[in-house]
Amino acid sequence: MLIIKTEKIDEFLEELKTNFSVFNIGGSLSDGGMSFKKYFFPPVEKIFSKTSTSNVEVMKAPKKFILLGLDLPDLEALTYLDEIMQNPNEDFFYLQKRKQSVVIGLTAENIDTAPGGDIVFQDVGETKYRVWENTAKGKKLIKKYKRFFEESDINAGADSDGAPQIPNNESLGEWSRSMRELLLDSEFLAKAVEWSRDHPIWDELGKKCLGCGICTYVCPLCHCFSIEDSVGLDDKCSRCRKWDACTLPDFAKIAGGHNFRPSIKERYYDWFYHKFVRGYNEYGKSQCVGCERCKELCPAGIDIYEILSVILKDYKKTLAES
Amino acid sequence: MNNIYLPQLVKITKIIEQSPTVKSFRLEKIGGRFEKDKDGLVFKPGQFVMVGQIGYGESPLGPSSSPYEDKYIEIAARKAGTVTGYLHSLKEGDKITLRGPYGNGFPLDFMKGKDIVCATGGCGIPPIAALVEYIIKNKENFGRVYVLYGAKTPDEILMKDKIEEWKKEGVKIILTIDKPDKNWKGQVGFVTDLIKEIDIDEANAVATMCGPGPMMGALEKVLRPLGISDRRIFVSMERKMQCGVGKCQHCTTGKKYVCLDGPVFNYDEIEKNHD
Repeated sequence: MLIIKTEKIDEFLEELKTNFSVFNIGGSLSDGGMSFKKYFFPPVEKIFSKTSTSNVEVMKAPKKFILLGLDLPDLEALTYLDEIMQNPNEDFFYLQKRKQSVVIGLTAENIDTAPGGDIVFQDVGETKYRVWENTAKGKKLIKKYKRFFEESDINAGADSDGAPQIPNNESLGEWSRSMRELLLDSEFLAKAVEWSRDHPIWDELGKKCLGCGICTYVCPLCHCFSIEDSVGLDDKCSRCRKWDACTLPDFAKIAGGHNFRPSIKERYYDWFYHKFVRGYNEYGKSQCVGCERCKELCPAGIDIYEILSVILKDYKKTLAES
Repeated sequence: MNNIYLPQLVKITKIIEQSPTVKSFRLEKIGGRFEKDKDGLVFKPGQFVMVGQIGYGESPLGPSSSPYEDKYIEIAARKAGTVTGYLHSLKEGDKITLRGPYGNGFPLDFMKGKDIVCATGGCGIPPIAALVEYIIKNKENFGRVYVLYGAKTPDEILMKDKIEEWKKEGVKIILTIDKPDKNWKGQVGFVTDLIKEIDIDEANAVATMCGPGPMMGALEKVLRPLGISDRRIFVSMERKMQCGVGKCQHCTTGKKYVCLDGPVFNYDEIEKNHD
């Protein structure tokens, strides 16, 4: 099977940099917790511009680029976000950038299929990485740089059935593992969160949450946005797409002043509702991959695993009683 | 790849001051006509379009013109925010942007063969106007048609010319006012008494609603006492909208998107769509 030796990775990257812009994600908490999503769906992006006499000008796609270092949850999130951005209609500006990218994942988890991206490097120990060619785009890149890769047997320590003995390095933390275990039963989570609408925990969270939106900005799957226009002094008008957050005060406020979700409690519940109920309803799985960013970066110390645990415990109790 | 956010430029060919705060705009496609669907409709009554300008933004507005008209689309806007303020500053000949139509529209097939009661208020009349135009064109498919239209003052009744035309076509119009002036001879408020003026087969009638808060009065005092059940009442809902195409999440209500699954909802299902 195809592998790349650890010592070759740096050389490979140096070579890539001579032809492409290369961005390294490097772990979920580097880059201030920003995930890969900003490369395809930037915090602020100009989408159209126009002068008083011209036609509407559409912003062009960036040059080809390489995105590197997405771990297992991020690769899953990328696959999911691609699905979201293609349904029920295609998001032009996301897909425009996605098309220009080659995504290389990096994981030490014992995977049996590539969870997303174009290429995945899987740490199999012994200073080797197994190389998963996940897409035609990935295959093409590897072919072009084939001198860094080699065919090798990583079955040195195969067991009696001949299955490869790949060490499971458990690169994910305990929190991620627990969260990902809950996510295995997305259907049950959806039922529980829907049931929990009148649960007192939302009152507590309404007091605790600062409504700052950080959880949604760092989430690799949150994709709410607003569209904001501006008029320049040079007669050039533009339309921007900006990240928005369903927890922010004006998210559901309309011209004239009426706000459909005026309290933090309602907005915080809506965030959960989207992730675990509406998301499940639309795509058959919760919109969470257990990357831990929201828990690590919430200034109020809110832990979504703890919240779900409380809800699930009480929901199970209610089910048992009925 | 089709760009769902890219609007087309349209030309304003007529502006009418409908009330002190509302203007209507006739929009023509530059160099052609609007595309019709297989039923010959440019949009379905109850659908909305995103109208605006790069630099100012976009607003979701329900067209009021006949859906069979492909030379132009008419919209009406109350001056309420940045976009509608900008629209009010324009003159005939100016160009603006348009996307859509989006959303589901009223359930025309379900409404066929039935008596129709349209209840609307204030500047909620445009989608109802398009519906009435549709019904008039397909008269043989519908029973009796009533339009209950409430406004705060006589000045704020929009589309007075259209209302006169509809009367000639046999549509029964009931206008009500919250604050009558001395010349007002019609009804005051949505009151239970209005029922006496409406003669429908309640088991075979459909009600459509679009408008602000007072609509609830129409519902409680007229539609329900008339005996029209909740599942035969269809309401056009309002929410904040940014993309209009089910991406930005602003207009969600429970599992539904007002821009995709609505804006017209069966009254029966609204309760399930929490905010």
